[in-house]
This record gives sequence, structure tokens and C-alpha cells, in this order.
Amino acid sequence: MNQPVTQPMTNRLSFRTLILLLIPVILLAGVIALFLYTGGGLGLEAPVPVENLAVEKYVLERNEIYLHVRNTGPEELTVASVIINEAIMPFAVAPSPTIPRLGRAVIHVNYAWSYAEAYGITIFTSNAIPFEVEIPVAFETPQPSPRTFWGFTLIGLYVGVIPVLLGILWFPALRQLGRRAMTFLMAATAGLLIFLGLDTLAEALEFAAAVPSSFQGVGLIGIGAVATFLLLDAISRRQTEVTGGEVDHRLAIAMIIAIGIGFHNLGEGLAIGAAYNVGEVALGTFLVVGFIIQNITEGLGIIAPVLRDRPSIGRLALMGLIGGAPAIIGAWIGGYTPSPFLAVLFLAIGTGAIFQVVYEIAKLIQKDTARESMPMTVFSGVLTGMLVLWVTGLLIK
Amino acid sequence: MKPLSRRDFLKVGGLAVIGTAGATALTRNNHEHRVEEPGSGHLSHGMQQGDHGDLPGTVGEVDHEKNGFNPTDILTDFDYGEVSTLPGGQTLREYNIVSLNKNIEVVPGIEFPAWTYNGRIPGPTIRATEGDRIRIHFSNGSNHPHSMHFHGFHPGSMDGVPGTGPGGLVEPGDSFIYEFDAEPFGLHLYHCHVFPLARHIAKGLYGAFIVDPKEGRPPVDHEFIMVMNGIDIDFDDGNDFYAVNGIPFHYQNHPIQIKVGETVRLYLVNILEFDLLNSFHLHANFFQYYPTGTSLVPSEFTDTIIQGQAQRGILEFSYKFPGMYMFHAHVTEFAELGWNGMFEVIS
Repeated sequence: MNQPVTQPMTNRLSFRTLILLLIPVILLAGVIALFLYTGGGLGLEAPVPVENLAVEKYVLERNEIYLHVRNTGPEELTVASVIINEAIMPFAVAPSPTIPRLGRAVIHVNYAWSYAEAYGITIFTSNAIPFEVEIPVAFETPQPSPRTFWGFTLIGLYVGVIPVLLGILWFPALRQLGRRAMTFLMAATAGLLIFLGLDTLAEALEFAAAVPSSFQGVGLIGIGAVATFLLLDAISRRQTEVTGGEVDHRLAIAMIIAIGIGFHNLGEGLAIGAAYNVGEVALGTFLVVGFIIQNITEGLGIIAPVLRDRPSIGRLALMGLIGGAPAIIGAWIGGYTPSPFLAVLFLAIGTGAIFQVVYEIAKLIQKDTARESMPMTVFSGVLTGMLVLWVTGLLIK
Repeated sequence: MKPLSRRDFLKVGGLAVIGTAGATALTRNNHEHRVEEPGSGHLSHGMQQGDHGDLPGTVGEVDHEKNGFNPTDILTDFDYGEVSTLPGGQTLREYNIVSLNKNIEVVPGIEFPAWTYNGRIPGPTIRATEGDRIRIHFSNGSNHPHSMHFHGFHPGSMDGVPGTGPGGLVEPGDSFIYEFDAEPFGLHLYHCHVFPLARHIAKGLYGAFIVDPKEGRPPVDHEFIMVMNGIDIDFDDGNDFYAVNGIPFHYQNHPIQIKVGETVRLYLVNILEFDLLNSFHLHANFFQYYPTGTSLVPSEFTDTIIQGQAQRGILEFSYKFPGMYMFHAHVTEFAELGWNGMFEVIS
């Protein structure tokens, strides 16, 4: 047998290695330059430039329409004509009708729109490429004022804070439960969260469709969700390593659940605020009642991991606020500066956070079931959690 | 069924809450700001409704010089051709017409890749007297086959329709001489008849053809030609803009000046593609209408007429009072998309 030859690994970056690393890069630059210069023999020449104009939001004031647009095409473009409901309208563009790539501009039209009517707007670029905007129901865009500010705050309170805190009020009663019942409740929480996670992901995908294609909405969801999942996982591991206490660990999980639900509710607030802005929302009494019923389960989810512990009331209230209050912030952002980009990002973070929590709860349940076998408890718990949201959804939608 | 999303049910409840909010917002509006961004030249002819937004219209001016024609000039630009007398005593009118691809700025900032006769939309207004000999030296300077199809009496070989001989389809770089007698008297038109026909017309290959009666029409103070057309800027077989004489809103931005009591004879041709009909309405006035101009006796005294594609007629009127008077398609959608103009009547 020969002695295996072990080559010493050197971390030193020698000059030779550097050259070897750079050669493909230099060649690549050469190929690109050649391609740009000669057309690469493909003879590609678009008869009409590719243009893309995204209308990010519209603002209606009395006799005024403002369209906030972004050039999401590969080259600069020029806004040349604005047609509102089959009428060519005089318009002004600030800062300039010529918008650079990814640049933004505001198109302003003096237009005597009528309350509650629908408007179709066509924007023609100088290359005669049309872009359409729909205003399904016209009404004055809410401006930041104490009145609307308080309105959005109330909406957030009703759909976020109040139901989550109400759910937490179950804490003293649920403490009396036996081990098996508590495991069932944890499994149910996992079910709730899986349902909420899917719901959050679906909403993220819906918003992603509204994000200009150059921002790659779906890719953004992946980045936001995976990064959040791994980051929370790292925090949770580190926290276990530092304290090692199981009680602290369960409390940490409850806190992460609160954060995950917080992001979910932030997304919900964004959606409500944005829907309010485009005139789609009408929060009737019945609908608010529906929200309270469905979101009360979120409070339940937060306390499930810590039922056998003695967290302080202040700690419980804090977790309730972390879970519910983001709905208010979401409603403000969605109501005043609806941005599909932000919505996608927040919802992606929510998705990652929620699924990470499901993973943590699964580990807790595993510990419980290791002591005592109860397969049907887990099955029925998870299914119950999912069905609760599905059925309450059926009732209120 | 769409998967359940809690956002969905937000959309179903009508407008109760917003209704109230919006109504309050509307009643409280007494802020009268008019933002005037720098560089936005606003309309010069009072085309604003004061506190109620702007009227439809274009901002700025198309480059008439680059376009090679100005609708204000087209109004009174009658082409009588190069006149000579044939051996038999018949008057000969010769015209040189070339079809050209040309980008025409139809709305400030937007160029339409048009197909034109002599570089303009509409093409030259060919005018002759009944019985004259017309000789059109047509050459195709574009990269598509084209033809000239006249409405009127002529032999089949001069009809400008594919299948009727060399004049039916003139290849790029080729030429053909259309020759026929001008008859009957009236207001007619010509256009390309190469297929796909709708596209060849919509791209701009058309013009008016006036045949005056031998004894002439009674003298008037003004004679104007107006060819009603549409512009399908994005080629979706639907018009995006409407106009008379090529450029939307031109006579709204540049009113036609006449004096009180002056007699006006208006030659009106409709060549609008894609839409079923077009119309003409004159404000604060009535006109005598001579359909197709083939009779010297008016058929109607009215203020609104309707024309299908290739229908045409002569209008005669004068104004009793000074002021600004609109004329436009009473298909009001067309009016707000460019087919609107003004007569400025001065005393």
C-alpha cells in the first residue's frame, strides 16, 4: 500500500490563482463587447422599442387626477398622450414626460371626475404604445388627516389588536388542561399557523403580480420567506444554547409566534388599507365581527406553547400587541402609500416567520409525544386548527 | 372557485363606509388650487371649464413643417392640376401623385407611421370641372404595393382594384397613369384599393375628388374641404384618435376665421375606417345639405348629418352673429378624441 499523498491546502490567494479566476471574467467582457458591437450575427432589431409603464397608484382630488407611474422597461420612455374615458385630455408630467429606466413621474390631469363612477385611462408613449389604468370606483383619495388616521387606526384595532388580546384571555382557563389536551392545543395551533401561512403566501403571490416585472415579485417572496425562516431558526437555536432552559425556550417560541402573526396581520392591514384606497372595501359591522371571530384564534396560538408556564401578564399583553398592532401600521401604510413592493416583502417575511414557528411547535410536540404516544391527538389537533379557520372563513366570506 | 382569502370578503360589501367618507370629502371641497407644472403649455382658446377641469384637447403643437402639411392650409388647398387643352378642345388636367411611407406627428409627441399620397393626410384635393380629362401620373415610392381607386365614372382598367390590370396594383418603384373624364359632377373621393383594404385606408391613403358642374356653383365667400378620418395608432383595428384633415383637434386649437354674413361652402368627406359612421354637427346654425354634391338643389336644411364610410356631401351656411362656434362629430366620443373644431366668427 502506498502512502496516500496529501496535498497541503493553502488559503493564500496566489497571483496565479487570481489570474485563473479573472480569465473567464475578462473573456466574458470581451464576448459581451463583441456581441454589443456586432449584434452577434443574430441581426436582432426590434421594430418597436420594448416599453413598460407601471401605474403604481392614482390619487383623486376634486377635479384632479394624479397618476404615479414608473418606467419599468429597459429604456427611457416619453409619455405623449392621456385618454380618459375616450377623451384626449391635456396633461402635465412632473418632473418630466421623459422618464428614465426605473424612474418615477406623476401625471397630472385636470379632470372633472364624478363620485362613484368608473374610469378607464389609457396612457400612450411617444412610440404609440398604450398602457391602461382602471379606476373601478372614483372617490377622493384619503389624505393623511386626523380623521382618516384615526379611521385606519380603528380598523387595525378591530381586526388585529382586539381579537388577539381576547384570545390571550383564555390563558387562565386553558392552564387547567391536562397534558394530552395541551398537546392537542399545540397541534391545533400548528394547524392554524399552517393555514395562515398558506393564506399569507397566497396574498404575497397576489401582490407579486402587481409588482413591476423588473422587481421579480415571486423571487422577492422567496428571499423574504427563506431569509426570515433561517434567521428565526438561528435566533431560536442560539437562544436555546445560551439559556438552555425549556421554559425560556417555550416563551421564545410564543414570542416568535407573536412576531409571525404580527407580520401576517401587517399584511392584512396593508391589504385592507390598499383595498380602502381603491374603493373595494366596506367594513360593515358584520365584516368586523367576522374578523374578530377568526383572529381570536391567533391569540390562542400565541399562548399555546406557554400554557404550562407562568409568564407575567405584562409579557402576555406585550405578545398580544406584537401579534395584533401591526394591523394598524399595515392599514396606515396601505391606506396612505400603497406599495405592492412593500406588501410583497412584508407578506414574504410573514410567510417565513409563520412556517418557522410551525417547525418549532412541531419540535415541541415531538418532545411531548416522545414521553407518551398520542398519534391521533396530533392528527386531530392539526386538522382542527386548519378546519377552524376554513369554517370561520366560510361563514364570514 | 378562487381559494379563500380574507381579503376577498372586503370587496363584497358595497360602498357603505366609503360612501359616507367620499360624500363628506366632496362637500368640504373649497380648496381651489390649480397646479400648473412648469412647461405645461395650457390651451390657448379658453378650453377650460373654469373650476371643473380641462376640456378634452391636446397640449402643444405637432410639427407641421416636419409633417409637410398644415390642416389650416389643406382647408383651401384645391389642386386643379397642370392644365392644357387636348386636340379636340377638351381640357386636360395632369397630376403627379406618389405614394410614400412617412412618419406623421398626429398628436404632439406621437408619430404615426403613415402611408400617404404626396406625403400628406389627406392626399391632395383633386379638383376639376365636369367633362375635363384627368390624367394621374401615379408612382409608388413606398415598399408596399398601392393603387388609386377613384369614385366616379371610368373604364374598369382605370378602377385601381387588383385584378383589373396594371393599374389595379402598382408595385414599389413602378408607376401607372390613370386617365378618365371627370364625371359626374359632385363631391367624390379616391383611395388605395390594395388588400388588406382596411389597413391601406387607415394608414392614410385617401383624398377628396371634386368635380364642379360645367356651369359652376353659385359664388361663395369661402370654400373649405374637410376629410374626416381616424388614426389607429396601435394597429388594433380600432381608432385611437379622430380628426378632420389629419390632425386631431387642429381646428379647436386653430379656429377657422370667417366674418358675420359670409357664405361658406364646405366639402365634407368621410373616410373613417373601423367605425360604422361619422357625423358633422354645426353649432348655433343650420346648413343646406347636398348629398354627394350631385344635385344643385339641397335635400335638407339641418344642423347635423350622418355619413358612413365614403359618403360625402356639400354644406352651405353663413353665421348671423359673431362668436366662437363649435363644429364636431355628434358621435361625441369621436369629438373628445380629436374630431372637434371651432369657427371664430368676427363682425
